[in-house]
Amino acid sequence: MIDLANEIWQTMRNNKLRTALTGVAVAWGIFMLIVLLGMSRGVVNAFDANMGKRGSNAINIYPGVTTEAWHGYKMGRYIQLKDGDKDVLESRGDNKIGRVTAKVYGQSMTLSTDRDYAMTYYEGVFPSELSRSGTTMVAGRFINDADIDQKRKVIVLSLKMAESLFANPEKSIGETVRFGNLSFLVVGVFDSRWSRQVYIPYSTARMLAGNTDNVNQLVVELDNVRTLEDGIAAERTIRNTLASIHDYNPQDESAVYFWNQFNQHLQMNTGMSILNITVWVIGIFTLLSGIIGVSNIMFVSVKERTHEIGIRRAIGAKPHSILTQIILESVSITTLFGYFGIILGTALTAVIGHFIGEQDGFLNPGVDLSIAFEVTVVLILAGAMAGMFPALKALKVKPVEALRDE
Amino acid sequence: MITLKDINKTYPGIVPLHVLRDINLHIDKGELVSIMGASGSGKSTLLNILGILDNYDSGEYWLDGVLIRNLSENRAAELRNRMIGFVFQSFNLISYKDAVENVALPLFYQGVGRKKRRMLAMEQLERVGLAERAHHLPGELSGGQKQRVALARALITNPSIILADEPTGALDSKTSKEVMQLFRDLNTDRNMTIIIVTHDPGVGEQTSRIIRISDGQITV
Ligand SMILES: Nc1ncnc2c1ncn2[C@@H]1O[C@H](COP(=O)(O)OP(=O)(O)OP(=O)(O)O)[C@@H](O)[C@H]1O
Ligand SMILES: [Mg+2]
Repeated sequence: MIDLANEIWQTMRNNKLRTALTGVAVAWGIFMLIVLLGMSRGVVNAFDANMGKRGSNAINIYPGVTTEAWHGYKMGRYIQLKDGDKDVLESRGDNKIGRVTAKVYGQSMTLSTDRDYAMTYYEGVFPSELSRSGTTMVAGRFINDADIDQKRKVIVLSLKMAESLFANPEKSIGETVRFGNLSFLVVGVFDSRWSRQVYIPYSTARMLAGNTDNVNQLVVELDNVRTLEDGIAAERTIRNTLASIHDYNPQDESAVYFWNQFNQHLQMNTGMSILNITVWVIGIFTLLSGIIGVSNIMFVSVKERTHEIGIRRAIGAKPHSILTQIILESVSITTLFGYFGIILGTALTAVIGHFIGEQDGFLNPGVDLSIAFEVTVVLILAGAMAGMFPALKALKVKPVEALRDE
Repeated sequence: MITLKDINKTYPGIVPLHVLRDINLHIDKGELVSIMGASGSGKSTLLNILGILDNYDSGEYWLDGVLIRNLSENRAAELRNRMIGFVFQSFNLISYKDAVENVALPLFYQGVGRKKRRMLAMEQLERVGLAERAHHLPGELSGGQKQRVALARALITNPSIILADEPTGALDSKTSKEVMQLFRDLNTDRNMTIIIVTHDPGVGEQTSRIIRISDGQITV
């Protein structure tokens, strides 16, 4: 084994230019593959961080305006969603429709403490809003069922809001904030750097709005859904149900608006796998051009060494020794320089990750061990292929002819 | 040791060339023979067939009781490695390996360990009087020295036959004599069968039998 390594080392050293050229081709291919994979990993990570956590089994419904006349109504009618809609939807008994909740949005409000005041707007929500929106708590708790039942005046602040109203978000829990002539107890702070809104219980929000039945959004949690078709079917049921309540054409797509988080999630996942596959395909093709380069150069180098191979065969080298030597030589070159490419590529992605940092749509680019492993396997296979064809060709030459070649 | 029966060889081509015609030849163990003949008469072709580097079209070639015909490349490589030592006019040393590495190479293909290979290679270099040149590359050696390295390489597997194609063709008369002396010593001391292709009548004289070949036929 050491002997073979030595033989390979000698021939590599003896063909420095060739070794360097092949090496650069492979290193470049691998470098591109790694950078591409690292970048796509960044996009996937960002997706997971932003959207991945968001609940993936809800359909959101927003009021809209009809575009068709129906049952004597003119077109252009505003469809106001009602609190009662959720009970009707739930009582449909459709096995895809789980719990139905609603949201009430407040107008802008001014919250104040002794320290500061801030403009914001509130959302009256159910406890399930936390998982649906994918936010996480940094302190305290979210709205709970008791808050809803008792119409408590409790409030969950965003991190930004808590920071400006209270010096320390941790300390804001249990404190009160004033809103007009009402005061709300801060029960929790959620993690958001960009959102300024606050959450209060759904029932409290309805009370603030003057106890109307109007709601701004319905949230249907889906059960028993697996495929895009399931999601669309659930959407259809909801649309039909709402159409019969509010008396509009069920085919009128603008009467109410849907945001199907379930289907979106499925599509995003598909999108991410497509991205991943695309990157591998591009990377592999880049690498392939490197490999073809290696193979070409191996062809030339094996041809140049026909005479030497002739000598080796005259003194008793068996075909498989020659074959092994050439293939191992090619594998050594590809893996050696391939690793060079891996290191450079990893370094570049790390640098990019450092400078771009956590921007929208980009998070922690980089390569993990499994990718490095996969790439190594690709390298070894590629090197073997690149060496095998020239080697097989070289072995077709008879020893006499090889010896005659000068 | 070697028996050829009605060996024929034709090089295919637009005008096929019948280089060897009904060659019949017997060489005993321990013989030192030379093959002489005009340029293009088929000497190298014959020697390559004897060395299992090339194949023949018809006839029979028996080497030490083994019929050499349609051998697999593996078997041929093994026979070349164990039974035959080659010496060529153009030396055929590997340019980036030093003398001792060149001499040791046949043992590499026998799977002999590194240390033992080196030791045996040094022994052979000493035998041909080149021990102090062991770590020189072929490019740093004179023609005579190169041919002695090649001879050491041919000898290292302790073959039963040495086949030499114009081994002195590239050497001056003095170094020629030295190389021929080595062949003669091998023949007498170790009873090796040696076949030398040559143009030089002086070389032919030093062998015990001269086989003359003309137009692909043995004349004597
Ligand atoms: N591979 C080949 N293809 C076609 N013809 C060949 C081939 N090798 C040799 N010949 C021809 O066969 C004939 C015999 O060649 P060979 O090399 O055996 O001659 P030789 O006796 O060794 O000559 P020299 O003394 O010049 O070395 C020559 O005419 C040569 O041109
Ligand atoms: Mg010749």
